[in-house]
Amino acid sequence: MAGAWIIADNREQTLELLTIGRELATTMGTKLTALLWQDQELADDYISHGADEILLLPPLPEDQPPGAYIPVIADEAQKKDPDIILMASTVRGKEMAARIATRLNTGLCSNCIALNLGEDGKTVEMERLVFGGTAVQKVTCTVRPAMATIPLKTFEPAVKQEGRQGDIRELPAPAPSPVKILERKPRETEAKDISESRIVVCVGRGIEKEEDLALARKLAHALGGEIGCTRPISEENHWLPEELCIGISGISVKPDLYIGLGISGQVQHVTGIRDAKVICAVNTDENAPIFAAADYGIVGNLYDVVPKLIEAFKT
Amino acid sequence: MPNIVVCFKWVIDEAYIRRGSSGELDFSSVSYKISDYDRNAIEEAVRLRNESGGRVAAVTVGSPEATKGLKDALSRGPDQAYFINDASFENIEPSQTSAILADVIGSKIEYDLIICGEGSSDLYTQQVGPRLAERLGIPCISFVLKLTIDGNHIIAERKVEDGVEVTAAPMPVLVTVLPDINTPRIPGVKDTLMASKKEVVNIAKDDLAQTYEPTLQTTAMTAASMERRCVKFGAEPGDIAGFVEALEKEGVLR
Ligand SMILES: Cc1cc2nc3c(=O)[nH]c(=O)nc-3n(C[C@H](O)[C@H](O)[C@H](O)COP(=O)(O)OP(=O)(O)OC[C@H]3O[C@@H](n4cnc5c(N)ncnc54)[C@H](O)[C@@H]3O)c2cc1C
Repeated sequence: MAGAWIIADNREQTLELLTIGRELATTMGTKLTALLWQDQELADDYISHGADEILLLPPLPEDQPPGAYIPVIADEAQKKDPDIILMASTVRGKEMAARIATRLNTGLCSNCIALNLGEDGKTVEMERLVFGGTAVQKVTCTVRPAMATIPLKTFEPAVKQEGRQGDIRELPAPAPSPVKILERKPRETEAKDISESRIVVCVGRGIEKEEDLALARKLAHALGGEIGCTRPISEENHWLPEELCIGISGISVKPDLYIGLGISGQVQHVTGIRDAKVICAVNTDENAPIFAAADYGIVGNLYDVVPKLIEAFKT
Repeated sequence: MPNIVVCFKWVIDEAYIRRGSSGELDFSSVSYKISDYDRNAIEEAVRLRNESGGRVAAVTVGSPEATKGLKDALSRGPDQAYFINDASFENIEPSQTSAILADVIGSKIEYDLIICGEGSSDLYTQQVGPRLAERLGIPCISFVLKLTIDGNHIIAERKVEDGVEVTAAPMPVLVTVLPDINTPRIPGVKDTLMASKKEVVNIAKDDLAQTYEPTLQTTAMTAASMERRCVKFGAEPGDIAGFVEALEKEGVLR
């Protein structure tokens, strides 16, 4: 038996995985299966977007995490022996993928940013970043099935095709997970998506106080851009939402202009701005690594330099 | 009183990796460190022990050279360390690391709570924690930003894309922690001295129940390249003007 499987938390991610899944399934001459547990109505939608088969998992009680499905998914994979399983690289997806891979005794390429089918038409070469983005590693899986988790926006969403047919199969309900969800606290503010912004002003730990973000905002405003941040600003200080965190564990941006304020330029951050056209940095430390990653740097105190820049850009 | 196990990895400090002339990775001047988020894991284990009593055992899998890492880990407060080492453990993959950890923890260490970092700073596959839980057949709560022990349960706040999930699981349980959870201590001279008196249990490859084969094969490893102009200005008025002019020339201002 064979096949390509895709597993994601929601429709948006599923459509992206359907794009690469369809491509692989077609070249490998096999069937594309999508798993679905959220809105069961989406089965036909997924079929029209490229799936040949839908495996429906029964809805879970409110207090159950999707991890409860792991034994059912792993059992079915053992029976059907797919060639490859692709999962969305989300918080829940990453944990589920690692646990399913363990049950299947197979390898998993985490945060896979590119997949290529080898000349044998079977082996998939998967690419990922290591050492914080210092290097690119290519791996193949020597055991069946090959598995990968794929970050959001790696592939375009699949387009709808009229007249596609597919099968829908139901999988058994899982036993309850020992992990119970007591409360879900939804996120308070929806943050901006800056991944497509033309100008990004990014703040790092060189900013001393939360109020001083106003300075960076003013600069962004003067340039008609958006603000982003490094991980310590979002994750440790909680000054900005984590959707604005740029880097290997955050988002990647590709603006025409990036200006980093008080950012040391550790590789984990710089990896997220690799595709920026022009990179600028303001830092007091002339030896800060950010200057080696920048086109134009200003060695200086951001509290002195930024007001001058705002003035200059206004005119 | 809970028995807490914390797992850590002794890794290459990526800041010292250079790009060789033909795009290969140059490791000639690297130093090593305890993987960043594993320091948060150790801190959390020690914090919980100080609060609820019990013991903390720090466990690592690595090559025999990782002994420095043991001292570093122990200086952060754990009571004891387990060092599973063999020259062949230098470049193992997450499926093997987790299997070796499960082999040792499952057969030799008492545990109620296992804490791992969210992901290691070298490979950052974020797999070892969940894989270890699955191997041991215990519940897993990943990406945790707040942890409390409540009787024989763990209550963990988990960061997900759409907010925070407050979850509970009966011990024994494994959690992986985010850097938000605490600020790791910087060990002082006294901590380092105390660390050298703590027990280290050495475990060799032969002490394991079996060998664990890789499932992935690395076909290429190349340095990511980034060519930039690297022009530097000062902060004097003339510099600012030069900087702005450069951006105008690039055509990136609207
Ligand atoms: C597995 C892993 C994943 C990670 N993922 C990410 C990620 O996705 N994104 C990310 O950003 N980080 C990430 N990190 C963290 C990363 O390694 C760095 O710690 C982080 O990027 C540093 O942030 P920073 O530059 O703001 O702070 P710092 O490194 O503290 O740098 C502050 C800089 O500000 C300068 N400065 C201070 N005062 C001033 C002033 N008045 N004017 C001008 N300059 C000043 C200093 O000279 C210094 O260079 C990750 C780390 C790990 C281990």
